Amino acid sequence: MTAAQPLTFHARVGEKVRDRRLQQALQKARPLFVGKRARAVAALAEDQLDFEGLRDAGEEIRNRVLADLDVWLDIFEERARATGAEVLWARDGREICEQVIDVARRHGVAKATKSKSMLSEEADLNAALAAAGIRPVETDLGEYIVQLAGEAPSHIIAPAVHKSIDQVEALFAREHGRPEQPRSSADIPAMTAEARAVLREHFLSAEMGITGANFLIAESGSAALVTNEGNGRMVTTLPKVHVVITGIEKIVPTLEDFATLMRLLPRSATGQTISNYVSLLTGTRREGDGEGPTKTVFILVDNGRAALLGSPWQDMLRCIRCGACMNHCPVYFSLGGHAYGWVYPGPMGSVLTPLLTGLENALELPRASTGCNQCGSVCPVRIPLPKLMHRLREEQVKRGLRPRRERLMIGAWAWLAGRPKLYRWLAARAARYLRWLAGDHATIRVFGLAPAWTEGRDLPVGPGRTFHELYAARKRA
Amino acid sequence: MRVALYVTCLVDLMRPSVGFAALRLLEAADCEVVVPAGQTCCGQPAWSAGERAAAAALAKKAVAELEGFAAVVVPSGSCAEHMRKVWPELLADDAHWAERGRIVAERCHELSSFLVDVLKFTEPPADFAGSVTYHDSCKGLRGLGIKKQPRELLAKVPGLRFDEMSECEECCGFGGAFAVEFGEISTQIVDRKCESIAAVGADAVVGGDLGCLLNIEGRLRRRGDSRTRVLHIAEVLAGGSGE
Ligand code: SF4
Repeated sequence: MTAAQPLTFHARVGEKVRDRRLQQALQKARPLFVGKRARAVAALAEDQLDFEGLRDAGEEIRNRVLADLDVWLDIFEERARATGAEVLWARDGREICEQVIDVARRHGVAKATKSKSMLSEEADLNAALAAAGIRPVETDLGEYIVQLAGEAPSHIIAPAVHKSIDQVEALFAREHGRPEQPRSSADIPAMTAEARAVLREHFLSAEMGITGANFLIAESGSAALVTNEGNGRMVTTLPKVHVVITGIEKIVPTLEDFATLMRLLPRSATGQTISNYVSLLTGTRREGDGEGPTKTVFILVDNGRAALLGSPWQDMLRCIRCGACMNHCPVYFSLGGHAYGWVYPGPMGSVLTPLLTGLENALELPRASTGCNQCGSVCPVRIPLPKLMHRLREEQVKRGLRPRRERLMIGAWAWLAGRPKLYRWLAARAARYLRWLAGDHATIRVFGLAPAWTEGRDLPVGPGRTFHELYAARKRA
Repeated sequence: MRVALYVTCLVDLMRPSVGFAALRLLEAADCEVVVPAGQTCCGQPAWSAGERAAAAALAKKAVAELEGFAAVVVPSGSCAEHMRKVWPELLADDAHWAERGRIVAERCHELSSFLVDVLKFTEPPADFAGSVTYHDSCKGLRGLGIKKQPRELLAKVPGLRFDEMSECEECCGFGGAFAVEFGEISTQIVDRKCESIAAVGADAVVGGDLGCLLNIEGRLRRRGDSRTRVLHIAEVLAGGSGE
């Protein structure tokens, strides 16, 4: 999925709000995400640790990196090479695919196991691998499910959050060649074990492991992987080749900085103090190591990121992909992630998708926000997401990407609001008109001028006189 | 204190009683209240649409009208946030307006925070028979830190019982033009708000922003709830919101 889906966001909205199973899945997940994070943050306070102070520190680390990104990347490249790893640079998704396929061909790879990598989604790598005769197998449970379904992840840390247990059961029955059974949440461990058994075969037979990286650590040339399933370990240690695909902005200077960010990431993402697995991968297998790849390749990807440095959207590059913004987003939980049309959903997606795929390809996303700032107030690195969406709205206007009719209407309204006498007169007529439409009722049930409003709700109206009319009359009296 | 009451375009058109309630409250708090005659709209709708020039023009118009007052009071967290936070940013690059904008912006206050934080006024003149719950509107809550003030004031109303609903800080899905441009999403969001309101079962849901209140009331009525009253905090505190 390298480009936004053809259907418009608006068209997808209707489909998503009417999808009952999706809605049920989302309603189930929302309180879990929100509650777990809230408890983790509260527990920090009990340990006399200050979450707000940690957020400041996280923001500072990420800003420090972005201020000298080229320098940190140079240091990383040098240190990574010194540990025996190969470092490649990819400008875009196409180059990611070419490089991965090239590495695969050089090492005779027929199957690649994968642990989560959002960059491989940006590149639509699975399709490219399959076309090149290399079988990609997703091994993160959620990713495995969406791969079986032929879908894309709908959440950056919970890829299959949109799926109901019945849907997963149907997929497993089909893929694992067994009859379907009735399932409840009590069966989740059994279903997980079933997937594990299938995946174990793949872990042992794959020649290549492909992962993302949560962070790249400049001082040691390592990749840090933060996961909750053991799959990441298998993917990075069992195959002979390990390819890490990650964005150039993922660098942090030191292990100490990494430790600071690790206090923020699991708490913000899943409400955990620490994730089940944290791996620091440095170089290739050394003499005496029992396991590990003999070949490690880093593919460091730009795909539109460098252009954001120094732009009004640079703050977005601080993102550590925790998912907290979408977990607290009322729009995300009304639609699920697929409605957003590209790799990244929720508030961070509404900023990143237009920036990385082109403003004109995602005109609705920066506007599909109530401006509530529930995202910005939980973001562990203090990205002002609503402000960045707002700047995209202004940019759309500047580049002439808004419909003429909309601009004329706002222009006319603003012109009017600059002329109080005329404005008063018209407002008074409007108040009477609304009152008349409502008849004997307190509300209007169908309002032709804003049908989208009365589609879902009534429009309560006033007494048929404006405040300023009534106030003037009172002063005269 | 001589204060300007900025009623907001929405209150002017949709519910004048909120403006009069704010007026009564400020007078009860010993303010000399002036309603500047030329006021229309703070310009937030233009700003939200990305129309920076139009938003800046309306900001200048309002700043010029409001300059002479020790304080400007707005019965809306959303408009107050726009005035306090966005006006200075909009006018920052304009040598003639930057300083003027900054000074006026600092003097703009949302009603409940003005009463509590600035005037230390905690004796609302009303009484209220029944239970209320409070919806924290986003811009007031997350933009201006308004949380305790309305609750402190409501706690002082004789006869009023306060019942907190679950997720009172969750967005109601209004978002200005959002509710019309993305009506279906907005409905999904406000439905969750209606469920919280139904669960707490209060006689009235109270808030500080008419936009959110129209959204919530409209959805409650459409869902068939004709019982729960939906009131602006000024209407509750000033009294006369009863029959
Ligand atoms: S924008 Fe902030 S909250 Fe959202 S995923 Fe990135 S770091 Fe997490």
